[in-house]
Amino acid sequence: MTSPDLRDPALRDPALDAPTAGAATRLRFAAVRSRLRLPSAYRRPMAIVGFTIIALWFIVAIFVPWIAPFDPLAQQFDRLQPPGPVNWFGTDSLGRDVLSRTLYGARISLPLALILVVASAIIGSVLGAIAGYFGRAVDEVIMRVADLVFAFPTIILAMIVTAALGPSLTNAVIALLFVSWPSYARVMRSMVLGARSREYVVAGRLLGFSPFRSLQRDILPNVAAPVLVLATLDFGNAILLLSGLSFLGLGATPPTPEWGAMVADGVQNFSDWWLAAFPGLAIFTVVVAFNLVGDALRDSLDPRTAGAVQGVKI
Amino acid sequence: MKLPTRPARVTALVAIGLASVLAVSACTDNSVSTSSTGAADKTLVIDKSFDLKTSDPARAFELTGSIVDKAIYETVLDFNGSDVTKVVPGIATFEENADNTVLTLTMDGTHTFSDGTPVTADDIVFSLQRVQGIAGNPSFLLDGVTVAKVDDKTITLTSATSNPALPFILPNPSLGIVNSKVLKANGGTTGADDAAEAFLNTTSAGSGPYQLESYDVTTKVAFALNPNYAGTKPAYSRVVLENVEGPTQKINVQAGSAQVALDLNADQVQGMDSSVKVLKNASPYLIYSWYNQDPAVGAGVTDNADFVKAVRQGIDYSKLLSIAGEGSTQPGGMVPSMFLGAITSDPANVFDLTAAKASLAASGYSGEPVTFSYPNDITVNGLQMQTLAEAIQSQLKDVGITLTLAPSPISTFLDAFRAGKLQSGIMYWGPDYPDPADYLVFNPGESLGLRAGWAAGSDATVTAAADAASAASGDDARKTAYEAWQNAANATGPFIPVIQPGQYAVTTSEISTLDLNPVWTVDIADIK
Repeated sequence: MTSPDLRDPALRDPALDAPTAGAATRLRFAAVRSRLRLPSAYRRPMAIVGFTIIALWFIVAIFVPWIAPFDPLAQQFDRLQPPGPVNWFGTDSLGRDVLSRTLYGARISLPLALILVVASAIIGSVLGAIAGYFGRAVDEVIMRVADLVFAFPTIILAMIVTAALGPSLTNAVIALLFVSWPSYARVMRSMVLGARSREYVVAGRLLGFSPFRSLQRDILPNVAAPVLVLATLDFGNAILLLSGLSFLGLGATPPTPEWGAMVADGVQNFSDWWLAAFPGLAIFTVVVAFNLVGDALRDSLDPRTAGAVQGVKI
Repeated sequence: MKLPTRPARVTALVAIGLASVLAVSACTDNSVSTSSTGAADKTLVIDKSFDLKTSDPARAFELTGSIVDKAIYETVLDFNGSDVTKVVPGIATFEENADNTVLTLTMDGTHTFSDGTPVTADDIVFSLQRVQGIAGNPSFLLDGVTVAKVDDKTITLTSATSNPALPFILPNPSLGIVNSKVLKANGGTTGADDAAEAFLNTTSAGSGPYQLESYDVTTKVAFALNPNYAGTKPAYSRVVLENVEGPTQKINVQAGSAQVALDLNADQVQGMDSSVKVLKNASPYLIYSWYNQDPAVGAGVTDNADFVKAVRQGIDYSKLLSIAGEGSTQPGGMVPSMFLGAITSDPANVFDLTAAKASLAASGYSGEPVTFSYPNDITVNGLQMQTLAEAIQSQLKDVGITLTLAPSPISTFLDAFRAGKLQSGIMYWGPDYPDPADYLVFNPGESLGLRAGWAAGSDATVTAAADAASAASGDDARKTAYEAWQNAANATGPFIPVIQPGQYAVTTSEISTLDLNPVWTVDIADIK
């Protein structure tokens, strides 16, 4: 059966031939709405939950002096009081308000995790791009160093570096930077290896582009998405690693209200469950939220992986 | 094979079930024995977190090793209960010469080993020389001491220099007397070639109230009565010392599966139900704060006398005691409260915020950060050093002093501390023996003094007071001299005695007597 010929005037809808002013407005609105609408990957309930939690924590981190009920360092209450009307999350072994300390903890963990992820993504990507683009000896040297770092368990290597530099949050970030750049370098190298022989890159080179310009103009825009996905998924991991180092006494120095250090305090006073439960819950929510957002980002930027993960045929 | 009929199968199942229940009951022998009321077969179960390495007294210098050796071996001199200020006779009585260089031991001849042979002067000489010859952890206790037999009842211990602390050292369980004949037959010597440790870890060769029944460094040590013990027969015929961690000890003692728990901290003993008894004592461990006197390290801050005075007056000791829990105490000086020569308080170490601010103003301190170091992986009797450091930081902030906390693992910390490179901080000192002479290291030019940059000759008053204390003879004279030394050190020294944490023993209601002792923690033969 053949489809009706829409060129036949007798079969056309008159409204289509003479659109009214109202219909035109509706179309314009629809176009604007379509431009503003988030891709479907971001509109899944889990992604919205993730975005909301992250937004809330960033609001807390920015406005915590106005939100926190008490000074997080003031030893002004009775020790080890369980959650109650004054201290909603109870008090710790020095009589400090656990709620205020948990909220202030966001000011430590979130910015440091952000710095860590951004810095390791930049360092790893640059080194990976250089290795992938230039190949040969440069590739060998960079990737063997990456293999060397990969050969050790992440947290053990970070502990060694922090122990050597001395316990502090700055040194913890340096140590984690040292152990986390190779994963970005590997991803970026494999992407650049695939892209460098594409026609548009070769054409650019034939036009006389320098390697730097070729990488910046032709390759980077086409390989950035996977690195961005990896960075988002890595954010939760960064928070866990920073908290882990503080838990082991190698990160935050007291009395800084850092979540990992607070959990470590709680472990020493196991029967006082509120000491570890609330900072632990804070770590949990942030890590889960970033993983949800990372998943959404991956689905949006890399539909093939999304299909593989979700079993959807594309 | 033909299956049994249905009633026969049921009977077989019931029989198997009963057999299983009986077998399980038989395995839990502690509860069965514990419930027994006959004095002759009562079993005592003690929970302790083990740091056990050996039961050989000449090699053991750990807390658990001391409990084990105190039960198996007798010493030439002894302490009564928890009082370590007065030495009492053990296997022998003692006399010292005027300058405290020769200590004469006279045996009463009534003590016998578990194999029935009498304890002789040769056994004492062999045992003490063996401690020296093996050169193990406790050998320093007899450094510079020559042990010699005079006759069958008399032994002399001759020290190279005046040694008034020796009678307080001799009750240490590491100086327990072993059966020399049995030991020599099993590889025992008085030199580094001694090979009797393995034998002593399976068979005890002592004259103490108990003998070894079974021994495992990781799980438990069981003791049976020594039928030939010369002293009062213990209340329990069998004792099991179990390796159990603190939180589980709490459950065990509340459930009655152990009668004594020895490793609970202040927070864990809170809220115990009324079925158990909590014994609270001050621990012999001293937590002190120091301020480096070396200008190169102190940077003109901690080496300033007025600054140290401001810290002394700025620490709220009563607040620290409330954090440490009941049983903890503030020592007046560096000698812990239960030792000879201890002072209960000193006006220099009293919290006075106004006076502290005045002293700080006089010091010329202008708010520069002071690095405050401490080991962050150490707890002393369950009290975290980190908790104390954070509390002191907060208290001194009110005075106007800015402390920057510098936590580090104990191994890293000790390297820098021993080198005298740390500006200030807190640390602890556990007694090697219960005598104030053990604390003379906190003097100018001595090992601990140098860690605080307190060089020899830098404080003539304190040095003179320390020399006088070291030379004093007789309990009264020594007590007075050590008190004067501590007062002098509190006035100008860099060390501030901060706190002695509490030490706790939790028992079931059936235990009526238990003494905590700073040297051997608990004498299990004295538990009733």
